[in-house]
Amino acid sequence: MKEVTMTTQLDSNEAQSPLRTLACSLGYTEKVEIRRQVWMGLIAVAAALTILLAASRFDQDMALFWAFGLAFGFVLQRSRFCFASAFRDIFLLGHGRNLKGVLAGLAVASVGFAVLMSRQVPNPGLGILPPDANVLPLGLHTVLGGLLFGTGMVVAGGCVSGNIYRMGEGYVASWVSLTGIMFGLLGAGFTWNWWWQFQIASTPRLWLPAYLGHAGALAATLAGLLVVYLGVLWWESRAGLVLPDPPFAAEAGETFAAKLNNTLRRVFVHGWSAPAGGALLGGLNVLLFTAAHPWGFTGEISRWAIGISNWLGFGPGPLLGAEGLPGCALEIGGSGLFNHMLFLVWGMVFGSFIGALFAGEFKIRLPRQKKRYVQSLTGGLAMGYGAGIAMGCTIGAFFSAIPSLALNGWVFAVCLAAGAWVGTQIIQRIA
Amino acid sequence: MTTGGWLMALRELDVRGEICPYPMMKTVQALKKLPAAEEGLQVITDHAPALETIPTQAVRLGFTTRIEETQASEWRIVITRAR
Repeated sequence: MKEVTMTTQLDSNEAQSPLRTLACSLGYTEKVEIRRQVWMGLIAVAAALTILLAASRFDQDMALFWAFGLAFGFVLQRSRFCFASAFRDIFLLGHGRNLKGVLAGLAVASVGFAVLMSRQVPNPGLGILPPDANVLPLGLHTVLGGLLFGTGMVVAGGCVSGNIYRMGEGYVASWVSLTGIMFGLLGAGFTWNWWWQFQIASTPRLWLPAYLGHAGALAATLAGLLVVYLGVLWWESRAGLVLPDPPFAAEAGETFAAKLNNTLRRVFVHGWSAPAGGALLGGLNVLLFTAAHPWGFTGEISRWAIGISNWLGFGPGPLLGAEGLPGCALEIGGSGLFNHMLFLVWGMVFGSFIGALFAGEFKIRLPRQKKRYVQSLTGGLAMGYGAGIAMGCTIGAFFSAIPSLALNGWVFAVCLAAGAWVGTQIIQRIA
Repeated sequence: MTTGGWLMALRELDVRGEICPYPMMKTVQALKKLPAAEEGLQVITDHAPALETIPTQAVRLGFTTRIEETQASEWRIVITRAR
């Protein structure tokens, strides 16, 4: 393996080491077309605010969740935050850019969730669980769900949140993936009662504070994240070359205009680093938990699929015990199409759309090979079924579950990684 | 940035529309198969994450890269053999 040293000197013309060449080549001039980007972006922001105001007159929760959706979608787009690549690139490229971002988000959210849960359940040893935290039954459904989801997200080129934000960037394949996810969730609905009787009803919900206390559980979780982080560093060192973030070419000058221009370009045009994106997503997750419940949306997406099919008369019908579970357990709907969670999901699409317009990254992208559509659909199906039985996706059963200090989050994560490895083997054979 | 006349001779690989991570994978495949007589490859992509993954993989294979934004949400990555 080649040994390279880290350098930040971008303008040096000395004999080129591989990494210096790489760093130079990463810093390209980002064009800004004022009319196309700024005005289109502002129009989209105006539209989002109009929906916000209209929703607030109808239902405060819808407005609140629309705002949260916009924020999540914007941050996902700006930091190109991708859980699929976080797991996949460990195997495919030997680097952990996105995985480090995920770890940053988990650490931030764990601290925030721990504080909130310690207020909700002051005596964790009494067997009471925080009602809204994603402490889910842990059993074979968690394992199979994680494996299926991990494989599906790599085959489809993105997990549920990844596809939601890419829908807003104009990736047509991601709309196909969402369709697959809906059908996968519907399939999980048809088998839910079997899973309920076989595993979900009888398996334990293991909440670490019940055994270690609040502080002990948080310390154990943070220590676990640190161990994973060190493991990523070691893995990257074996692969020989760590991916640096693209440098930001700042405009020179100390004038107010130059400083403002640099700030705006950094936020709206230049891609954010993964740890910045992860930490912000973790912080938003804590805020959302403070306002209502942790971040997650596959329960809502299942509500569309199962609700519509039940309404049309061919749906799975009642789901045993699902209503009493937190997180993203399947939902049968029934209270009409509009609810606050619908606004969260479409707010994420729209928030990403806004981010992509300002950055000049919106474009309708159509895969040329038909097999990509098949891949997006089947990957979506696997993800949908996996999220259905595991009661959450990379968000609900992982990004909100580990901070809930729940053991199911860790088991799901290991299975996601194993599934991502399988997915990596598959995509390399269907290039 | 200007493209020198010699660049026109570089073979072009158009991966627009591709889903993640195929822009990077197809580039790696093409670089591995690149005939010794050819100096490099130009990749046309509309997938922003590839702007980080393609240069990294190219460097690992002994190439240098340069990115140009050709139009909104489209980039040309010029990959040439490292001397």
